Amino acid sequence: MDRQDVATRTETEDSGLSAAEARSRLDAVWDLANDALFAVSLDGFILAWNPAAERIYGYPAQAIIGKPLSILVPEDRLHEFETTITSIARGATVEHFETVRVRSDGVPIDVSLSIAPTRDEQGRVTSALAVARDITAIKQALRQAELSSVKLSEREAMLRRALLALRRSLEETKSAQLHLVQAAKLESIGRLAAGVAHEVKNPLAVILFAIDYLAETIEAPDASMVTALNDARDAVMRADSVIRGLLEFSTATELTVSKGDVNSVLEKALLLVRHALTKSHVFVAEELGTDLPPAMLDRTKIEQVFVNLMINAVDAMPSGGTLIIRSRRERLTEPGPDVGYRRSDRFRVGQTVIVVEIDDTGTGIDEAARARLFDPFFTTKPPGRGTGLGLAVCKSIVALHGGTIRIANREGGGGARATVVFQSVRP
Amino acid sequence: MDKIRVLLIDDEPSFTRMLKLSLERRGRFEVRVENNGAYGLKVAQDFLPHIIMLDVIMPDVDGGEVASKIRADEKLKDTPIVFLTAGVSRETTRAKGNVIGGQEYLAKPVTVDEVIRCIETQLRKNGGVAPGSSAVPKS
Repeated sequence: MDRQDVATRTETEDSGLSAAEARSRLDAVWDLANDALFAVSLDGFILAWNPAAERIYGYPAQAIIGKPLSILVPEDRLHEFETTITSIARGATVEHFETVRVRSDGVPIDVSLSIAPTRDEQGRVTSALAVARDITAIKQALRQAELSSVKLSEREAMLRRALLALRRSLEETKSAQLHLVQAAKLESIGRLAAGVAHEVKNPLAVILFAIDYLAETIEAPDASMVTALNDARDAVMRADSVIRGLLEFSTATELTVSKGDVNSVLEKALLLVRHALTKSHVFVAEELGTDLPPAMLDRTKIEQVFVNLMINAVDAMPSGGTLIIRSRRERLTEPGPDVGYRRSDRFRVGQTVIVVEIDDTGTGIDEAARARLFDPFFTTKPPGRGTGLGLAVCKSIVALHGGTIRIANREGGGGARATVVFQSVRP
Repeated sequence: MDKIRVLLIDDEPSFTRMLKLSLERRGRFEVRVENNGAYGLKVAQDFLPHIIMLDVIMPDVDGGEVASKIRADEKLKDTPIVFLTAGVSRETTRAKGNVIGGQEYLAKPVTVDEVIRCIETQLRKNGGVAPGSSAVPKS
């Protein structure tokens, strides 16, 4: 079949037009179409080839007519070509089949093929007419779009990761900021405390001298006078202990650390409170771990923490009881308060820590008091017995060691438990 | 009987007045007071005390500076100096045996008995000799 056959067939079907008109119209379509139009014999040879086909495939009509259509087909798609020809021969139509063909210069192009069989007067399929649209640009655009989409997804994932990192960094910054604010607060309290200490201790010293002087010079003082002088002396000492607490609270920011054994500090603290224990009929039960790793400690300050916690425990048992001291090494296996996976977490999962527990068998602490235990100047002790700075100082000292301190009621057993957790270091 | 000469250098007049009164009332001490640190050395050179009680923080010249000048003086260099401080707690000074950085300290507020104990300890350590004079009088 050639262009003439195609025209004749069209003319036959278009009964309203003369053969010349139909022919002219078909020529116009054939010549002006943007898509490649070509006719192929059922054995795969090119019969007709329009100008658009020349442009798209790069072969002039005279060079390709009579050649096998397979020269346009990439090797890996020859099977596809054979199947199509077979299918057309059976009278089937192919519509918008997207595939790849090869130009005369060897460059592959994307085409959308529509192929219809052409028939003779008896309706037998004699050849095929193909319309090929060059969709290379569209495909490239699509591939580009896909690529862009992939890149976009990658960038989105990157942005998400960056956002996550930013959030973490923000949290760490906030945490660092909080620490800085806390340190700045402590520093101002420290400066204030040092100033107050100097200004108040001098008058206290004068009052104390005056009390001693009066006590020595008054001849035969009556009982009420002795009481007054003793009360005044006690008041001076109490005021001094508040100042001392403030000074300790402020100097809790300075540590002199060295590698040390927590158990030995516990033992030393126990020695220091031995008198108070005996006086209050408090027994001691020690369960100290024998395999504790060392910790970086300011021994004096940690001793101060333990003494403070032990004295609090003794004070919570005015009618006697048992002071239970435990220490152990513990590997953190799950996240929890102060335990996580991030750098900003106080402890990390997988880390080995040293846990110290100081228990009393007193009546425990009520909920309202528990929430305020570490607030400066909060105390549950009777007036004159506590400054309310002890636990605030303990908390600062432990925090400076990178540890934590908690106080809660003991489960089941009554009384309270102070738990101090320290970072461990390699032996 | 010769008395133990104590020089008090402290900018707090009420403190020095009360300590002077309290010490002198015991009868064994002769106390000279100087409330201006800048004159501390001059008074010490003149008074030749057995011991000097020196405030750490003073407005014009601090205790450390006064102590350096005293240590540099040929006659006074061996005179015991006890720093009186309001910046360290009594517990801290007690826990450290009243010695911080090799220097004797007493934390305010302090009782007269504590001051006297400290003076006696220092004089014992020093062999009881006052600059340019005989041994410290026995109490």
